[in-house]
Amino acid sequence: MFGYVRPFRPELKCKDFDLYRATYCGLCRCLRRRYGLIAPMLLNFDFTFLALLLWEPEEGFTPCRGRCHANPLRKLPMCPDSPALELAADESVILAWWKLRDGVQDEGPVKGLPARALSLLLRPAYRKAARRCSAFDGMVRDCLAELSALEREGCPSLDRTADTFARLLQSAAPREGERGRVLAQLLYHLGRWIYLADARDDLEEDRQSGRYNPVAARYGPAGDDGALRLTMDNSLAQMGAALQLGDFGCRTALLENIVYLGLPLVERAVFDGTWRHIKKQKIWRNDT
Amino acid sequence: MRDPYSVLGVSQNASDDEVKKAYRELARKYHPDNYQNNPLADLAEEKMKEINEAYDTITKQRSGGYSGSSPGGYGGYQQRSYSSGDPAYARIRNLINMGDLNQAEQLLYEVGQKNGEWYFLSGSIAYRKGWMDEAMQNYVRAVQMEPNNMEYRQALSVMQRGTMGGYRPAGYTTGMDAMDCCTTMMCLNCLCGGGRC
Repeated sequence: MFGYVRPFRPELKCKDFDLYRATYCGLCRCLRRRYGLIAPMLLNFDFTFLALLLWEPEEGFTPCRGRCHANPLRKLPMCPDSPALELAADESVILAWWKLRDGVQDEGPVKGLPARALSLLLRPAYRKAARRCSAFDGMVRDCLAELSALEREGCPSLDRTADTFARLLQSAAPREGERGRVLAQLLYHLGRWIYLADARDDLEEDRQSGRYNPVAARYGPAGDDGALRLTMDNSLAQMGAALQLGDFGCRTALLENIVYLGLPLVERAVFDGTWRHIKKQKIWRNDT
Repeated sequence: MRDPYSVLGVSQNASDDEVKKAYRELARKYHPDNYQNNPLADLAEEKMKEINEAYDTITKQRSGGYSGSSPGGYGGYQQRSYSSGDPAYARIRNLINMGDLNQAEQLLYEVGQKNGEWYFLSGSIAYRKGWMDEAMQNYVRAVQMEPNNMEYRQALSVMQRGTMGGYRPAGYTTGMDAMDCCTTMMCLNCLCGGGRC
């Protein structure tokens, strides 16, 4: 997706770092096994976080060893396939596909060529994933269509545009029982936060190209960092409150690190402009 | 009922002080102030009830049947209730508390005159939905129109605190203010760098 959801490494315990990395590598492996060799390119931090959230709390951390996709000579500890990883893998394929389709439509016939080529490559994987999670597939399609309609009409409401992406992400977790309610609330505000962070990140670029930007539409072309930050912080606070009500077993400390430390730091980097450098760093070439 | 010790997350042989400390930490976590107008407030209330019962049971057992009450005034979990003069507003408040936001919104739009309470309720609905920007704007309007109303001011001040209010587990109180951009980069660059693990 975007890679905004990261842990804050200096405050991670070694065991939590191992857990994070094994989940990340496990998601990569799961994508490869389910969707073939190009699927690991969809791997990202955001869906790693989703997988961590979706895991059953009773399930412990028991990594197996597997070959790294980027460097097959290396064997790394990784989480074996589990329902949480599989769901996260299916959903990353679906979201990536619809985002590509969106790109094809937005960019026109020439500029949209790379997106078109990629989406062709991804089509078989998408059809498989859509069969497995048809509800999520429908939700993503509807929410993104709603979002582009709002963008076309230049919607001045920050909340309304962010709401579409927030509901999209909210539907990534099954909505059953108390746990479902906690996850729904957490993911809603995560989606809202990601959408706003991305909008702030694109503010300058959109201004130059004359594209719609929700932050500019709400606060004027220069934006209003103080107000935007506050409203994003309010979403972070809601996420923290939801997190405390759920049971996440051995993944609690890692999730707390991401929500209480990682996200605020990313937020700060987005506002002070350093995020551009951070997000470019290649992340799947570990320890070369 | 679950074992009271496991509810508080302490062992059977924990000292009285340890039990009390664990209880206080949990009570701080699930305190009603952290879940004001939150769609998950009922879950927090249940947790609070559970830890209160667990603490009462343990103190009773340890003092040989003497029934003590929870320390520190965390006893009750009551949403602060404010009454409303206008019956239409009272109904809307009720609907918001029950989580029926669509109905509440509809009723609110039928009210002709917009006073401070109208904006406050409109803000409360937005807050529950997660529309934080709209909630903030409405609370600001409500406070402007009725600057002396404590309820409106309190709702606004909760939002103005951002992430500084609310509960954070020990060890997650922000202390990263003095970080320059290179450090930020290293810290967020979570998989590469830092050598082999």
